[in-house]
Amino acid sequence: MLRYIVRRLFHMVPLLFGVTLISFIVIHLSPGDFLAEIRLNPVVDPAVVEEMRRNLGLDQPVHIQYLKWLWSVLHFDFGYSFAYHVPVSWLLGSRLLNTLILNLGALVLAWLIAIPIGIHAATRQYSWSDNALSMVAYLGISTPTFFSGLLLLYLAFVTGWLPIGGMTSIEYDTLPWYGKVLDVARHMLVPATVLAFGAAAGLMRQMRANLLEVLRQDYVRTARAKGLADRPVTYKHAVRNAINPLITIFGFEIGALLSGSAILENVVGWPGLGQLILESVVRKDLYVVMGALLLGSVTLILGNLIADLLLAVADPRIRYD
Amino acid sequence: MRRSALALLVAFVLAGTTAALSAAAPAPRFSLPGIPNPGVNMRAPEIGKYGGTYIISQISDPRTFNPIVVQDTASGAVTGAFADGLVEQNYLTGEIEPSLAESWSVSPDGRTWTFTLREGIVWSDGQPLTTADVEFSAKAIFTPGVDNSFRNLLTFRGEPVRWRVLDRRRIQFMTPRNQPPVGLFLRFIGFPIVPKHKLEAALNAGGQQFTQSWGINANPRDIVGSGPFVLQSYTPGQRVIMLRNTRYWKVDRQGQRLPYLTRYVILVVPNTEAARLKFLARETDAYGARPREFAELKALERQHNFTIYDGPETFTREFLVLNQNPNAPISKTKVAWFSDVRFRRALAHAIDQQTIINQVYAGRATPPTSDVSVGNTLYYNRNLRPYPYDLNRAQQLLAEAGYRKGPDGVLRDAQGNVVEFTIVTNAGNQDREAIGNIVRQDFVKLGIRATFTTEAFPSLVSKLTGTYNWEAIIIGFTGGIEPCTARNLWLSSGDLHMWNPNQKQPATAWEAEVDRLFEQCGTEVDQNKRKAILARFQEVVYENLPMLYFPYVKTQPALRNTIGNVKLGLQGVTGELDTRYFKGAYRP
Repeated sequence: MLRYIVRRLFHMVPLLFGVTLISFIVIHLSPGDFLAEIRLNPVVDPAVVEEMRRNLGLDQPVHIQYLKWLWSVLHFDFGYSFAYHVPVSWLLGSRLLNTLILNLGALVLAWLIAIPIGIHAATRQYSWSDNALSMVAYLGISTPTFFSGLLLLYLAFVTGWLPIGGMTSIEYDTLPWYGKVLDVARHMLVPATVLAFGAAAGLMRQMRANLLEVLRQDYVRTARAKGLADRPVTYKHAVRNAINPLITIFGFEIGALLSGSAILENVVGWPGLGQLILESVVRKDLYVVMGALLLGSVTLILGNLIADLLLAVADPRIRYD
Repeated sequence: MRRSALALLVAFVLAGTTAALSAAAPAPRFSLPGIPNPGVNMRAPEIGKYGGTYIISQISDPRTFNPIVVQDTASGAVTGAFADGLVEQNYLTGEIEPSLAESWSVSPDGRTWTFTLREGIVWSDGQPLTTADVEFSAKAIFTPGVDNSFRNLLTFRGEPVRWRVLDRRRIQFMTPRNQPPVGLFLRFIGFPIVPKHKLEAALNAGGQQFTQSWGINANPRDIVGSGPFVLQSYTPGQRVIMLRNTRYWKVDRQGQRLPYLTRYVILVVPNTEAARLKFLARETDAYGARPREFAELKALERQHNFTIYDGPETFTREFLVLNQNPNAPISKTKVAWFSDVRFRRALAHAIDQQTIINQVYAGRATPPTSDVSVGNTLYYNRNLRPYPYDLNRAQQLLAEAGYRKGPDGVLRDAQGNVVEFTIVTNAGNQDREAIGNIVRQDFVKLGIRATFTTEAFPSLVSKLTGTYNWEAIIIGFTGGIEPCTARNLWLSSGDLHMWNPNQKQPATAWEAEVDRLFEQCGTEVDQNKRKAILARFQEVVYENLPMLYFPYVKTQPALRNTIGNVKLGLQGVTGELDTRYFKGAYRP
């Protein structure tokens, strides 16, 4: 097992190299650079723009820029943000936790809702509650997060029960620790609900389909024929087998922990990575984009690795050695 | 669309958030402990009450807290509240008035300016503010590697301004004689003064180091200023909280120390929609409404206890420019059409400005005449009348220039070439996209085969300033109060002289005249003479139309009714931070 993990981690190196190289080239292929805005300023002398370009290192050939970046990344220096004059690692770090809190909250919420509901729907197939839950699930799958986010924000506005966007209130710093937790939770309600709703809908359908599949299998019939009660049959035997494919999905969700809420963050003003990355892509703040890409790639790869390991734990038939 | 911020910067640094002696009414004499001659804010209509948290929102995070390197409005909103300059701009009139310097004199030859600092003024940490700080700030501006927009303004044809410290309170600045823009010297000398005792180590370590100091990752306690507020905390993506500077050097008309407010909070919101909702939900106290929202918000005034004001036009100009560059990689025939002033005037008559005003700006805009906004009351030339929408006149002008509209309804030039071109604007700017569609239809009415597309902003800029591979572009520039600072745009040798950049000799007589007017305006110290020069400049632009302007958009600031000292100034600024106060109940 350990050897497998080490091998997988080792495979990350060429993969990340490829991802960053291609991204770097693609960013440079699109015309224009970070200084586009300042170039369009009638007051600014072109010589000043040139000096800024030199200061930013944008006057060098692409391959030199890439190699320099790669060299510093190997020393855990992710470069500077052109726009903010701060290290990229600080910039991403200042937002990382916020995005993580939101996505973890949503993840837990989604799984807590989806699994029981999926089981419920599968065990009462085609009952009125199953049909109703299916309807809700279709709604959840087909509603884009930015739309439901906006909708809930309006609801918060009309009722006045919840704050309109953001993550903390102005008095946050003066609150005791439980006040801080409550404050964040209050702000998180809208975005986490939106994210969880979309994710739970899909998960619940998955759970329902898997469980239905398992419940039709011979060993379940045998168990029932032996006179085993309904509950142990469903929960002890069927559910455990049905949950297997969901573990793969779980891995993907771990990979998406830092990127899954990007669009929603921009709607509800959650101070996460999504807002920052979108802005840096639009403005071509090169090293912020590269840092974010690297971060996203690493989490995706690690998420998949974790999923594979969890599969091995859950299913004795799967062995990696 | 985000536009480059430098011109804006000049405007807001000088407009500032602070006030000074008004020239009109003689200021009463007051004193503060240790400060025998504090500034008196005579502009505020009311005497305020102390206390309260004033909350506004803005869409971007600040990018730096270093006042010298600030280039964007979001950071400027923060640094403007804690950094003052030697002089400042009156937000109502645009005139330059004393700030940290209580007075100044100029030598008979106009080259040497001597500024005297107020006695006893201190930084927010209690350290005295002296000419050493002024000198240090000027030195920082001219240090290589310090990215800032002031160096450009304080350099006169390659010659930087020089300075000499006379004593703790007096400093002299020397400008080269008659090299533009020395006439605007007083406006440019308002750069923010930063504390030497806090930033000297960074500057000694190098320009890049200085650029990165007082970044958004700095400890707020290290950031000290001389303005009405000091930074308390910054939470990325969420808010900046500023506290009252108890050592501020200004008083109100009764001699009470300013500012009135206890806290000043800037919330960071993701978009204008969120900003609007937060305002309506009373989470914020002010909102800069978009033109379309004016009528809707007017109807909500009573219900939500606020007032939306009919503000003046901004200085931002939106325009269509045609490529007249003989070296551009586009058809020479097209360059020939675009270079013909009759063709451009015909297009100007064909643009239905009123439809743009109604459909794009919901009536909240004013037809343009030239390069100076109607809202720039200091320099706008009132004698010019906007080109009327008149298709007959347009067709007549085209006919005079040899263009013929065939029986198929298509316009052809004298050589029989079909007149067709593509108009581009940057994708994502809804107003410009709407304008583009209206203008395209207007041109089609003349028989022109005009097409309209959009493109990503960086790519558009690289065409405009690099490859020159474009035919017609719709874009906008922010404007400062001084039109003749836009040298890079208007001088025929300018890099941003978009229609025909980097000319060795002016290609046309009118461009030669603009060159001359800009040299004169840059060296002219007398405001009235400068007004006359700029009035002529506007006439020349109006007659020759290198850019076809679109309406100047009005501002519509909305403010909670509990806010006091509201008086609209240039570009719809509603008042000054130091005299802002709550009339009744307020947030603690």
